[in-house]
Order: sequence, then structure tokens, then C-alpha cells
Amino acid sequence: MKKFNLREFTASPGFNSFTATLLAIFLGMLFGLIVMLAANPANALEGFSRILTGGMRRIPDVFYYATPLIMTGLSVGFAFKMGMFNIGASGQYTMGMFFAMYVGFMFNLPPAIHCFVCVIAGMIGGILWGLIPGFFKAYLNVNEVITSIMFNYIGMYLVDMLVQGNATMYVSSKTRTAYLPASAQLTSLGIKGSSLSVAFIVAIVIAIILYVVLNKTTFGYELRATGFNANAATYAGMNGKRNIVITMAIAGAMSGLGGAFAILAPSTIAGSSMTYEPVNIVTQAGFTGIAVALLGSSNPIATIFTGIFVSYIYRGGTLASLAGFKPEIIDVVIAVIIYFSAFSMVLNAAFRSKISKAFGHDNIVKPNANAEPDPVPAEAESEEV
Amino acid sequence: MSVVYYLIQNTLPVAIPLLLVALGGMFAERSGVINLALEGTMLWGAFFGCLFTLFVGQNMGNAQVALILAAIVSAVMGIVFSLALSFAAINMSADQTIVGTALNMLVPGAVLLTSKMFFNSDGITTNITYYIKKVPVLGDIPVIGPMFFQKTYITVYIGFIILAISIFVFYKTKFGLRLRACGEHPQAADSVGINVYKMRYAGVSISGLLGGLGGYFYAVGVMDGNCNGHTGVAGFGFLALAVMIFGQWKPEKIFFAALFFAFLRTLAYSVALIPFLDNLGINQAYYKMLPYVATMVVLAFTSKNSRAPKAEGIPYDKGSR
Amino acid sequence: MDNYIIEMLNITKEFPGIIANDNITLQLKKGEVHALLGENGAGKSTLMSVLFGLYTPEKGEIRKNGQVVKINNPNDANDLGIGMVHQHFKLVEIFTVLENIILGVEPSKMGVIDKKEAREKVLALSEKYGLKIDPDAVIEKISVGMQQRVEILKMLYRENEILIFDEPTAVLTPQEIDELMAIMRGFAEEGKSILFITHKLNEIMAVADRCTVLRKGKYIGTVDIKDTTKEELSKMMVGRDVNFKVDKEDAKPAETVLSVRNVTVKAKNAAAHSVTNVSFDVKAGEIVCLAGIDGNGQSEFIEALTGLEKLTSGTIELCGKDITKASIRAKSKGGMSHVPEDRHKHGLVLDYTLEDNMVLQRYYEPEFQSKGFLKRKAITEYSDKLIKKFDVRSGQGSATISRSMSGGNQQKAIVARELDKEHKLLIAVQPTRGLDVGAIEYIHKQIVEDRDKGRGVLLVSLELDEVMNVSDRILVMYEGEIVGEFDPKTVTVEELGLYMAGAKRDNVSVETVKEGSDNEEI
Repeated sequence: MKKFNLREFTASPGFNSFTATLLAIFLGMLFGLIVMLAANPANALEGFSRILTGGMRRIPDVFYYATPLIMTGLSVGFAFKMGMFNIGASGQYTMGMFFAMYVGFMFNLPPAIHCFVCVIAGMIGGILWGLIPGFFKAYLNVNEVITSIMFNYIGMYLVDMLVQGNATMYVSSKTRTAYLPASAQLTSLGIKGSSLSVAFIVAIVIAIILYVVLNKTTFGYELRATGFNANAATYAGMNGKRNIVITMAIAGAMSGLGGAFAILAPSTIAGSSMTYEPVNIVTQAGFTGIAVALLGSSNPIATIFTGIFVSYIYRGGTLASLAGFKPEIIDVVIAVIIYFSAFSMVLNAAFRSKISKAFGHDNIVKPNANAEPDPVPAEAESEEV
Repeated sequence: MSVVYYLIQNTLPVAIPLLLVALGGMFAERSGVINLALEGTMLWGAFFGCLFTLFVGQNMGNAQVALILAAIVSAVMGIVFSLALSFAAINMSADQTIVGTALNMLVPGAVLLTSKMFFNSDGITTNITYYIKKVPVLGDIPVIGPMFFQKTYITVYIGFIILAISIFVFYKTKFGLRLRACGEHPQAADSVGINVYKMRYAGVSISGLLGGLGGYFYAVGVMDGNCNGHTGVAGFGFLALAVMIFGQWKPEKIFFAALFFAFLRTLAYSVALIPFLDNLGINQAYYKMLPYVATMVVLAFTSKNSRAPKAEGIPYDKGSR
Repeated sequence: MDNYIIEMLNITKEFPGIIANDNITLQLKKGEVHALLGENGAGKSTLMSVLFGLYTPEKGEIRKNGQVVKINNPNDANDLGIGMVHQHFKLVEIFTVLENIILGVEPSKMGVIDKKEAREKVLALSEKYGLKIDPDAVIEKISVGMQQRVEILKMLYRENEILIFDEPTAVLTPQEIDELMAIMRGFAEEGKSILFITHKLNEIMAVADRCTVLRKGKYIGTVDIKDTTKEELSKMMVGRDVNFKVDKEDAKPAETVLSVRNVTVKAKNAAAHSVTNVSFDVKAGEIVCLAGIDGNGQSEFIEALTGLEKLTSGTIELCGKDITKASIRAKSKGGMSHVPEDRHKHGLVLDYTLEDNMVLQRYYEPEFQSKGFLKRKAITEYSDKLIKKFDVRSGQGSATISRSMSGGNQQKAIVARELDKEHKLLIAVQPTRGLDVGAIEYIHKQIVEDRDKGRGVLLVSLELDEVMNVSDRILVMYEGEIVGEFDPKTVTVEELGLYMAGAKRDNVSVETVKEGSDNEEI
């Protein structure tokens, strides 16, 4: 019975995509608070307030950490628009990071272009890891979810092996990679004590470009058509297979760039750099990207803001340890937010169709007197899926 | 011969978690719900099984009884966890893949948070020996004894019993027939008075049970009775889904698929012990990738003919009732 | 007076924005065949779903033998002895016939199914009523006719005494329809009560005792069949006099537009028939109709023709150009327009606006894009033009999300798009499926106009009325082969039926087509 009440409530007008996102965030935060209260009631409120406000004190850092998140968010969201679930963003991210790192360490390029080439290499690494599941999906009809998950593991083991086997890149005594040469690092935005770099601006520009591609171009038209109804896209003569591969390549490129931006970030300490530790664990970055994309309803512009938001609460989460909590509380909160946004999307869709039925079209439906909602195709739809 | 014995003895404790979790995935998908959260369910079950062992089991004196009790705990917790998926997927018509992903993310975070806060570690380390050196009497049978009744875990036998029960329930009972109908054609099931929502809850709950149990059996057979929030179950939940697809959503075929994947993995981790492979001098990381690469290859070859339950992943909505 | 076994009194059922059933009353006598007549969308299916417990009505009550009953789900309906053969069969394709029949009422001991007992009962019923089935055959591998027999056996197995048949004849040949009518009469004579949902007047005249008519969700009346005529029923159904005849001049076939030679297509699944060695021509200025019972390879053939699926062998020429291996896009550019069978699956991107759907086949043309960027203004203007020209009604014009439009207007939009596009050949597959009479008339008129403009038309239809009225030439497809070619002016429905059922066949060769098509009396 509860279900119906909740549905009716959420189906009311004004409950739009934005409020659905807010609801998911609210429920996720509430869940986090409950967990904190259960774990350590005395410090829960202090810890929670640190999560909420902690990011304010480190705005440049929030932007810095948001950069790769925006990229993986764009990656997941772009594939979503085509009706694909790119759960392989983590693997693409890792490959991008490795490719960028490899060029950083192994290529001796003029400082003017070294960093740029590293970024491009990272993009290529990501493309590679997006292309393969794309091919599997388009030409072998293998669901992209399982293949991308497998590619997360394959990529992770591969990168860890290659890193550990490379004496220039890997410092076995520290079980980490060495410091990248300064020429490979991104240009800092010059904020003191922060690693914020031009990558943040590049990410925003890329988001805007993706928005334009999706909404203003014939390619975007085809892509969204395929995402909504792949059969109709085929009927209209669109090359679905090619579009799947291109979409996955672009999604991979985004995640790869994310990995490159993360590892190539300028260090705040002269002579050092970001490092990577091969520990045989699939990175969280891609999964967080799923949250970023979902919260932004896969809209590239919205993804900029949701990326910043997610980064913000992660920053706050690290401060929660001052109150005796662990940063993993944020992983829990993010997971719960994704959980709820999985229905808020559904609620939104239901809501959209309800709005269009309830308003505006009444005057159309009635004169035509299709007293029933078009029985034949409705049935056909449910049978064909 | 000792290499053969070694491989079999080491394959089975790995195969059983894969088998159970894949069977779990099968029950969920045949009822119409994709349970991508099995990876998380496994770690969840393992965590509670280990927790039970830490506080109760390892002080009980009898390790095998402790294991069975811990297994029951993990199975029950698996069911509880699966309700989160059921609610979202069945009542709220949520996207099952996304919900599964969220749940997969939730568990490692929760396990790490709890372990770090209360045990000051990344997981739970128990101190108990489940390992059976030799089963009395049966272990002395030539050939069969060393294959199946030496250097093993009780989980192997439990696993076989569950396989038998699964096959029986799936094919011979009213419940099995109705469950399969819901995953294929829920409207048809509904029209003959079967409650699709209930059947799907049942299917997902069974997958939670087997997922939790399989997770703890993974902890027993692979992790030496411990669990860790960082390494989790190393993609076993996802591999189990591949096993299920490879097994064509049928229990008897899933069994062989699980053996196949477990064998590959055992091989990967036993390279040093097999002179032939060791001499090849291939980096061990390649072997570690083997199960995942094998999944890709297998899927590429089987997907054209594979027949997933028709209604899986599609929320069932009765309409305006 | 008191012998009503089921009464549905003053039933009202609303869906968001629509009243599907508005104060409807239906009274079924014991032992009668009662027809429920109405157009597509008149509310018949909704009313039956209410009786079967699938929907709960907002107002009204149901009585059985004078007692008020509550039917909340199909189980309640079954307990009251109500069974239903759904228009779209509710059969689990991978299950056997036996498993489907017992599903939900499995004889069992401790949860273990006792198939032996079930089998005996099913075989006995099958024998008694002459409903031939193979209990161990898998549904997806048996014919549609046998699937229907399985559905009927499902009701008999449950010992139902009130049997609902929802549009049961759509998938049958005229001869099979006669058989079904006989079976229904047999049930009635045995004391069972039959509710027969249909929009076909001939069938009602042949089998029903009484008939209740619905129109636009409202109750129009109940009449005794012996006191009424077809014309009167049709007037009640549509609300005005209907001229079922399509006004058109004789065809003036000109040059060949489409030439199909020896096309063979492998079946995707076992239930569908493959297409074998199909050859025919379509000329400019004529409407060729591909007739046949559903599932005889028409869909597979059209998919191969339009490029949605691959063909195994044979050649296709469009205006003299070989397009056998051409892509869908190339076929479209070469002059092929295609009104697809399933408007929701193929015809429209339902979540797109109407204007985006209007350019679905043309968005890439220079008129609508430049350097990869869409020309929004041009698209809107074009869409507005089509909406006006083809009288497509929608809430916000071009900006309407297509999903919110009625089925008839969705179909009109597709027809508008395909007809306005530069084309030489129109392929229209069941273009009037699920539409009301007004929309059907409109679409028929458009097709005929297109022919008169000198286009070739290939029409695929399952409705014999449509086949007889619209086409200039009829090809009958049976089990994936063309088994006969006819002139609609000279052939009878019965004759067509024999060919559609596979009881008769000619060797149709393309040569006879070329020599002229109006001497096919055979």
C-alpha cells in the first residue's frame, strides 16, 4: 500500500527532475546520518556537519577532485543517452591513467607538448577500453554490462602488471610509481596549496561540447533516437552498430581523460607528483561516475554540477575522520544516493508521461475518443521486449 | 597424479561459491529480476559469517558446526540484503542494473567503515580452522578419497546438496514452474492467478540466500575464513553471472560452467606448482586475468544462441490496479 | 428473466485522462453465445479485463446468478468459473503445451507436480471436444491454431463455464473460423455461456444469440441477433452509416516499380515460417496486397524487403536498380517508403517530439541539416506543414511528445512522413491495425491517392475486408510461399480462405504476372 502513496506523492506536479535528484541526495545523506548515529551517537552530529560543511574550506580542492569525477560522469552519462550502461568507466579510467603515465615517463618530449601528448595518450587508452566492449555489443551481441565489468578487472590486472614490471615507472621499495617529470604535469591554475589545474576548465568545456553534440547535431539526434528506441533507429536507416561503437569510444575517451587528469595533476610540492599504487583493486572512480551521471540525469551540463557536489561531500568525508569516523562513510552515502536515484529516474519518467497525458493532450485524446490507451501496440510493446 | 589431486582439491572449494552464487543469479533472473548485486551480496554474507565466527563460532570448539551456523547467518543476511533489490526492482520498477551497482558499491564501503571503526582493520580476521585433512573412512578410498575427501571443506558437500535441491525445485515443483513462467511471460502467469510480485520476491530472496551463503563459502574456501573490504570477493559475483549465462540459466549446465571457471582460476594461482606452466615463464598476472578473459571469449561465442529469460530486467506493472 | 449467469451492471473504469468504460451494463444468459461488439478502442477489452479481475472498476457491480461478487484477480474469476482466451495468447513460449495448461492449477503432492494425472485429464478433454494438441510440444514450435486450442483447453481444464473469447478469429483462416464457431456453439449447447468479443459482423450474425454494442466507452444497446441486420449493427457500432467500400477507380498499372525474384529468408524462430522463393512485381499505379494468415512469413518477407533483416537468396529491384544488398538508408533514398507493422516498435521514437519523428527518415538531408548541425527552424516548419496537410492532431503541435498522442494520430503521422517523402514505392504493413473506423477510412483514402499519383503500393493485410476493398491485385502467402494470385473483383472470400489455409494452391510464376493479372480465375 505504501508504494502507491509514495508514487502518488512523487507524481504530483512540480516534482521534476531536479527535485527528484534532491530527494535522492537527501535520502542518501539521511541514511548516512543514521549510520553515523548508530555507529557513534556522541560524535555523529559533529561528523555529519563536517561532511556538510567541510568542503567549504577547501573549494579549490573540491574542484580539483571534481575534475576526474566530471569526466567519468560524462562518460557514463553519454553512454546512457544511447541506452547503454557503461559500468566499465573504471577500467577506462585506469587505462587512461596508465597511458598518460607511460608517455609521461617513457617519452622524452619538449616540455611545451609533453603534457598535451600525455593527455591525448590517456584519451586513447580510454578509447581502447571503451571500443572493445562496444565491438562486443555491436557485432557479437554481448551485453555491455558484463563485458565492461570484465574489462575493469582485465584492465586493472594488466596495468598493475605493466606498472610493476617497469623499472622507470615503479619504485618497488615504496610500492608506488615514481614522480612524473614536471613537463608531463598539467598547468596549475596557480591557487596556492592546491592541485587545481587547467583540466578543470577543460572538463567544463568538454561537457559543453558534449551537450551541443547531443542536442544540436544529427549525430546526437541519431544517438538519442537509438537510446530511446533502437528498433526505430534501425528502421530509419541509422547505423546502430557503428553508433554503438562510436558512443562507447567517446565514453571511453571521457573516462580515459579522467584518468589522465587525475595522474597528471600538478603537485603542490616541487619535485613530486601524483603517484599510483598497484594493489589489484578496481578503482572506485568509474562507479562514482555512475552516481555523478545519474544525479545529473545524464545531462552534460548538469554533470558539471553533480561532479562538483559529489567531490564536495567526499572532501567533507575526509574531515569526518576528525570526529572519529572514516571517509568510507561517503562511499556508503553515494551508494545510497545511486540506489534512490534509480527510482527517481523511473518516477520522473512516469511523471513526464503523466503530465503529458493529464495536461495539454486531454483535448486531443477525447475528441478522438480512443477510449482505451491504444490496446494493440501497448500489448505488442510488452510482448516484444 | 599428485598435481591432478591438487587441482581437484583446490578447484572444488572455489567452484562451490561460484556454483551457489550462479544458481542464485539463475533463480532471480528466471523470475525476471537481474541481480547484479551478487558481488555485494557475497561480501555482505561473508562479512556477517565472519562476524559470527569471530564472536561465537571460534569459541564453540567444533569448527564444522561453527561453519554451518555461520553459513546460516550469512544466508539469512543475504536474504535481508536482497530485499533492498526486491523493493526497488519489484515495487518501485527501478532500473535493476543501476540498483545492483549501487548495492555493490554500498557493501565494501559499509564493511570498510565498520571494520575500520570497530576492528581497526580493513576486514575481519578470524582464528578458526575449517580445513578437513581427511574425512574418516571415505578419505581412505583409493583415487576417490584423495579427490573428494581429503584436504577439503565441508562447504563442498553442502554445495552439492544445494545443487541437487536446486535442480529438483527448479524442474519438478509447482514453485519452479511458476517461477520460470514469471521470468518468461509475467502477463501469462498473472492471467492464471500467479502473483508475479511474490514470485519475484521469492526468486530474488533465493538469490540473496545463495549469494550470502556463497560469499561465506568464498571466505572459507578462498580467504581462509576471513573477509576484507578492499579485496572483497574479487569479482566472483560478476564471474558467477558469467557462469550463469554460460550455463544457459539451467542448473545442471551452470554446475559444469562453474567447474570450468573455478578450474581456470585454480590453474592461475597454481602456476608455480605445475612445472609445465611454470617453465613457460609467463607473468602470473596473465593467469589472473584468465577467468575474466575466458568470460569474454565464452560470451562472444555463446551469446548468439543464448536465450536469456524473456522478461528479465523488465519491471512488471499490472497496470492501474 | 432470472437466468442471467453473469451481470455486469453500470461498470465505470477510468484511466488517467480517459474513461474507458462509462456506465456499461452487460448481461449474459446461461447457455448463450453473447457477442460484444465495438470498434478498436470502444472499451471491450477493458470491460472484459474487469470481468476477469485484471482491472478494478471505479463504479458498478458484477453479479453471478444474481449474487454480487467481487473479482479482484484472475483467481477470483477462475473460482467463479470464468475463463478467457486472450487476444494475445498468454502462453509461456518455452513451456510445453501441458505445462501451459496446468500452470497456476498444477495437480501436486507436497509441491511436486503430478504430470501424469494432468496429462490424462488434458488428453480426455482434447478427445471430447476434438481439440487436437500434442501435450509435449513446446509452444514456440506449434502453429497459432494449436496455440489457440491450448488456450481453450486451459479454460476447459479449469472447468470454467463462462468462456470469454477476445477477438479469437484474427489469427484464423475462414475455414478455421467456421470450426471455432462450431466449437463455440457446442459449448453453448452443453450449457456453457460464451462471451465473444469481436468487431466482425459476419461472425456475430453466424454464431451469436445476442449482441451488446459499445461505442467510445459507452453502452449503446443489446439486441437479439435474429431481429437485427448487419447494417443495423454496424450503425450501432460506428454511430453513422458506414460505407465499407473504398471509392477508387480502376488501376492503371504502368512501369514496374518493384521486382522481387526468388527471395528466400530463413526463419528467426521455429514458430514463424521461413520465406521460400517468392517472386512478384509491383507496378506504378497499382495496389498489390499480400494477404494471408498471420505468421505465414509476411513479416519476415517485409523485413527482408525493407532491409530490417537479411535475405538468404534472391534479388530485389527497385525501379530497375538492384537493391538486394542495399542498406535501409539506400533503399529509402532509392524511393522506398515503409509504413511499418508495429508503429511503436519501429515507426516512432515515442519519446521524441512529433517534429523529430516527422523527419526520422530525412533528418540527414541538406534541407534539415548543415555540416552535421540540425536546422531546427526548418524541421519545425516542415513538421507544421505535414500536420496541417495530413490533419494530425496533437496537444502542442510539432512540440508534442509522440507518446502522448492517440494511436490513430500516431499512425497518421507515420503515414504523413512516408507519403510526403520522395518515393516510388509505398510498403504499408497492416496500416490500419488497432484503429477506429474514421482513421481506417482516412488511411485507405491516402493509400489510394498515393496510387493515383503513380506510386506502386505493396499492402500487407490480415483483414480480409481490407484485402478485398483496397487492393487491385491480391497475392496469397501461405507458409512462406505465394500460393495464389487473384483479382479482388472476381475472387470470393471463401476461395481466398482456401488458399490462405493451404487447402488450395497454384503455381504462380512471374510470367503470368507479366502477361496480365486479371485472368486468374483458376
